[in-house]
Amino acid sequence: MFRTCDITGFKVDLQSEKLIRYNAVVSVVSLLLAVTAALLLVFTRYQPVHLLNAEWYYRLVTFHGLNALIFWIIFFEIAGLYFGSTVLLNTKFCSPRWGWIAFILMVAGLVMSNVIILMGKADVMLTSYTPLKAHPLYYLGIILFAVGALIAVALFFGNLMIARRDNTYGQSLPLVVYGLMTAAIIAVITLASGAIIYIPTFLWSLGLVQNIDPAMYKLIWWGLGHSSQQINVAAMVSIWYMTSFLTVGGTSINERVSRSAFVLYILFICLASAHHLLTDPGVSSAWKVWNTSYAMYLAVLASMIHAFAVPSSFESAQRRWGYNKGLFQWLSKAPWGNPGFSAIILAIIGFGFIGGTTGVIFGMEQTNIIVHNTIAIPGHFKGTVVIGTTLTFMGITYYLIPLIFRRKIVGFSWAKIQPWLFFIGIALLSISMIVLGQLGVPRRHWDSTFSGGPFTYNFNPAVDFFWALMMLGGVIAFIATLIWILIVVISVFWGPKVNGPQDMQLTISPLAPAAKEHKGYEAPGTLVLTMIFLLVFLALFFLNWKWLAATWNVN
Amino acid sequence: MENDKQPEEKKIPFSRMIMDDYMLLMFLGVTIYAIFYLLWGVMELSNLPAIPEDIKNALLK
Repeated sequence: MFRTCDITGFKVDLQSEKLIRYNAVVSVVSLLLAVTAALLLVFTRYQPVHLLNAEWYYRLVTFHGLNALIFWIIFFEIAGLYFGSTVLLNTKFCSPRWGWIAFILMVAGLVMSNVIILMGKADVMLTSYTPLKAHPLYYLGIILFAVGALIAVALFFGNLMIARRDNTYGQSLPLVVYGLMTAAIIAVITLASGAIIYIPTFLWSLGLVQNIDPAMYKLIWWGLGHSSQQINVAAMVSIWYMTSFLTVGGTSINERVSRSAFVLYILFICLASAHHLLTDPGVSSAWKVWNTSYAMYLAVLASMIHAFAVPSSFESAQRRWGYNKGLFQWLSKAPWGNPGFSAIILAIIGFGFIGGTTGVIFGMEQTNIIVHNTIAIPGHFKGTVVIGTTLTFMGITYYLIPLIFRRKIVGFSWAKIQPWLFFIGIALLSISMIVLGQLGVPRRHWDSTFSGGPFTYNFNPAVDFFWALMMLGGVIAFIATLIWILIVVISVFWGPKVNGPQDMQLTISPLAPAAKEHKGYEAPGTLVLTMIFLLVFLALFFLNWKWLAATWNVN
Repeated sequence: MENDKQPEEKKIPFSRMIMDDYMLLMFLGVTIYAIFYLLWGVMELSNLPAIPEDIKNALLK
């Protein structure tokens, strides 16, 4: 059963649409759980308030990590995979029954793990490093979720096969679906690593396996833990390309190069998991350097390609629409009143300048040592997963509400400011955490003053300022997330119905016209912005080497 | 008709054929990760010498 979308013209499989809706709704619930815990954690780490006791602090660190990094993200990505493989390819869903089985398994896993954590039987944090042991149902919950997610990924490939058989697209997948296919392949690697480590750990928690080697656990677990965040990167970049198309009718100025960048992700990005073992003595320097430098830089190259290709697709389209004046008229005349557009542009800026720069610097064996196991590390991934992926998912949801849920966006004026508020909040939070980490503040620590302990440490007085700034950023980001959740929930359940293009509050641009004549660079403004980015990166790079030299005076 | 199709199919560049074959890409992605990250890492950890019994006992005391 299909309906034809009166706004986009796409054929939408009704079963697929239902699955997309349900997965998206559960992802929003997971985000609400994650941010509620996050606010309590921020007020605990801020020493003058120190809200929770130690037990509840570690309990909610586990709860927050699992809901934010796994449940919110993966439920949303499954919705994205179904959308990309059926709606964008004009094809039917290969097996709705298995789609529902996958969904039920994932929800069962979410409920089981969360209940066990809140009961205080799994205070092991997201990494659950052995010999820390949680209740068997905690591991079983994660296994059920992973099996469900793996079935969903298999269904995505099933949909691609049907689309190919029915010849619903040309020779190659559309670029957006190609990026989602990249995300799906990375998901296979991720979930396979999860199965390899969580099944024996589950048996160990039942007493059926004697011992889980902690070093081996850590190695394989990070194949899941870090690679799962690479699914986000691929999915996020795909949405960036899609937003360029939706908002200004832009396409990559060199699609082949963009596809090659996705291939580099498939081949090399998962090796970056080795960052987490940079101070582990069990693996050799050769293993560390190969996996975090030589091979991984090919994935960094891919990100650099996308960092140029996505903004240049916006610029090129805007110039073809006539916004040709100077270097940046295309940017000043961009549809900033469209929250889908502003969210994605802010996500690109935050991901590049905060998450990307720190990712490369913290990923190097030498400079990693300055911040290893400090609060700078979660600060870095606030700059990738939160300001990058989460803001991107928030932005594209503004399009999903009318196109998939067929409702108007309620509180549209709030929707316009929400991405900005979220960006400011997370940027403050993330940068403060990175600076605190550079000043030596540890991560995952209930009391970083070590009060009552045999050793004390006097932090630089600047630390107090950045703690306050971090708290401020956390509160702003929390408010922005609540605004987004309220907009989504009220719109989806009680919003006025969309009856046609006249009810569409966001623009869906036609394809930008072909260029009349071509002189010089196609996207000079993006080239300048990219150079600014590279200069910032170089400055931070050398600053970190300078800090390293100051930390360890080698003569 | 078949003769008409054949030259068309030949025109597809090899690199594009590779890039369009998502099963091959999945195989390559999984293999590279399995060899360089997983197997190499597991091999190194497996070859670590066991902690001498007397040191182990002293630590566990």
